Formats: sequence, structure tokens, C-alpha cells
Amino acid sequence: MSTINCTEFLHHIDEWIEGQEVPGARDHSRACADCRGLAEDLGTIRLAAVTLPEADPDPSPRIWTALRTQLEQEGLIRSVAPTRLPHRAGWFASIFSFVPRPALAAAYVGALVIAGVVLSGPVHMPTDQDRWRERTQRTSAELNAQLEAAEETAMASLTNFSPDLTADLRRNLSIVDNDIALCEKSVQESPESEIARDYLYNAYQQKADLLAQISERGEGR
Amino acid sequence: MPEAEAIRLAQQGDAGAFERLYQLHNRRVYSLCLRMVSNTAEAEDLTQEAFLQLFRKIATFRGESAFSTWLHRLAVNVVLMKLRRKSGTETSLEQVTEPDEESGSPRRDFGGPDIRLSGSIDRVNLQRAVDQLPPGYKAVFVLHDVQGYEHNEIAEIMGCSIGNSKSQLHKARMRLRGLLHEAVREKAREERKAAGTSSGGED
Repeated sequence: MSTINCTEFLHHIDEWIEGQEVPGARDHSRACADCRGLAEDLGTIRLAAVTLPEADPDPSPRIWTALRTQLEQEGLIRSVAPTRLPHRAGWFASIFSFVPRPALAAAYVGALVIAGVVLSGPVHMPTDQDRWRERTQRTSAELNAQLEAAEETAMASLTNFSPDLTADLRRNLSIVDNDIALCEKSVQESPESEIARDYLYNAYQQKADLLAQISERGEGR
Repeated sequence: MPEAEAIRLAQQGDAGAFERLYQLHNRRVYSLCLRMVSNTAEAEDLTQEAFLQLFRKIATFRGESAFSTWLHRLAVNVVLMKLRRKSGTETSLEQVTEPDEESGSPRRDFGGPDIRLSGSIDRVNLQRAVDQLPPGYKAVFVLHDVQGYEHNEIAEIMGCSIGNSKSQLHKARMRLRGLLHEAVREKAREERKAAGTSSGGED
């Protein structure tokens, strides 16, 4: 025998389909086909809803990359912290803590302008991936050659520094070199990726920055 | 890194902590956005916007509510704002439901007695029906039935009362039932039509 009517059942139907105890609901459900059908339908919807996220794709890595870039631009996080090298923010911050930020040497600026022009934006991107990859390789080789020459000069000035500072700077250079290698690999794998090219450009820029700072610091001694 | 530690470090601008918080919550936020807009590119943009707002405001987070609740509140607001902009109107949360259904007790609306949804709905037609819900109903339905939030949490996320959350969920489910019934009827009509055409062709 039903102990609640249809209106009362309907008032509590959500609790009922969610498995809560509703006095009289079971008896009413057995007795009333309409209410039973409604409860079954709502229960079916509820169960189906739980399965919806199973088909969801993973969020694209693009989201974090774009988010980080935005946060860096707004100065909310340090501007040189890629996910691949979480320790990089530390070394870069430590460099800036004891070296006043100098202007880049003209040669470095020239090299970076070339890199910027070639590596930036889809407007320069050939439609053919192999052509783009080849062009990037050529530019990278030119840049690396210039940076190697600059590194020789900077290394020569290291003799003016204390052994501890020299060791720190060598370690930092090694980190930047590793980062450049990783970025170059990313660009090789995804030559069409603007983000990958941006990172490579930033990595070159950081090395040029570091070498300029070492050189200027050495000359000042 | 535990969430509490990540929050503390992010408040100091630590890049790794921001990333950790993103990694902890990005799937649920993306899932919410995707469910609300049914478009991966838009969902990505909304996820990015929600986290951006979160990180801009993280220094003000004092832990009065759970971090995920706070984040979901931002995400829901971002999504609702987007949907409002899309519809070209500035509307309140109440208006993104339907005013004529906002008051009173549940209606006696049993639908067709001959149709049952059991065995006839799948993810695709359920999502299609969810897409047709008013944004307010949709948000409560997704938060409760899809993501598993309790009504007190939804009330905090949506900035409404617990009673309002329950009421909207009930109406969302009832509306979905109507939409799904209609889809089942439509499918049956098409099948009958196809069968009729097929048998007519054989004559």
C-alpha cells in the first residue's frame, strides 16, 4: 500500500534516485507505474551522466604553454621557466641578482635579429614542412657558430673571475646549452610549431644574454 | 608537491608551483568547460582564461573555501560570461535558467507512458540534450551529475542557495528527460519512415 502520493513522491524523487531513504517512496514506486517510469528515466540519465567524461580528450598542452606565456608577460611568474628544466628559473634569477643587466653586444643583437626574423611567426613559414625544417637548421647552424665564437671570447674572460663564480657560470652555460639542444630537437620534430620556435629563440637569447654579461663583467675587472 | 604547498609557493610567484596547480586541476576544469560549450577549441580557451584569472588572484586566496571550489567558481563564471556574450545579452544567473520555471514545486510531468529511456540513451544523445539546456541548468547538472559535486559545494561555486541548486538540478533532469524522449520518438519516426520507404520500394 502506498504511503505517499504522486506529488509527494515527485517532491523527493531526486533524493530517491540518488539512493537516499525516502519514507513511503518504495511502496509508491511499486504501486504507481508513472512515478516508477519517471524515477527510472531520471536514474538512467544520472547514470549516463557519470560516463560522459570518459570520452573527453586530454586537454591540449597548448593551454599550459599559452597560459605560462601570458603569466610571464604579466610578470606573475619568472619569465624563463620552461617545464623541461624547472631549475632554470633559479640559475637565471641568480645571474641577475649579481650582474647588472647590460645591453647586448651588437653581434649578439645581429644574430638574434636574424633568428627572430626566421623563427618568428607563420608569415615566414613555408607551407612545406621539410623546407621549413631545412631553413631552421641552416639558421640554427649560423647562430650556433656565432654563439660559439662569442663563447670563446667570454670563456677567455673567465680567468678574471673567482673559481666559484667561474664554476657557476660554466654550469649555467651548460644548462643553457642543454636547453638549446632540447628546443632544437622540439623544432626538428615540430617545425610548424610556433611555440617550439619561440622557445628556441628564447633559448638563443638567453645564451647571448649570458655571454654578453660574462664578457662585460670580465672587461670591467 | 602537495596542493597546499603549491598554493603557498604560487602566491610567491614560483613558476613550478603554478604548473603543479595547473596539473592537479586542468582535467576537471577542461572537462567542465568542454561539457558546457561542446567545442574543444572554445573549451581550451575557457580553461586558459579560468586558470589565468585564478593565477592573477591567487595572492588573495585565504583558504576559506576549498581551492578546487574556488577554481570551479572562477571557471563557471568564465563559461557563463562567455555564453552570455554569445547570446548577446547581459543576464543574471537566474535568467540563464528559465524564469517561468523558477518557482513552485515540481510539476507532474510524466512524459509518454510508453517510452522508457533505459537502454536507449548513449553519451552522444545525452550530450546533445545537455547542449540544449539553459546555461544555469547545464552548469548545475554538469557539476552535480557529471563531476560529482555536492549541493553545498555547487551553491558556493554558483553563488546561489543549496535549495536553488537542488531545484535547478531537478529541472535540468526533467528537461533532459523531455529532450531525450523527443530524440527517441524522432528516431522511431525515422525508422518507421525508412521501413515504409523500404517496403514501398519493394512493391
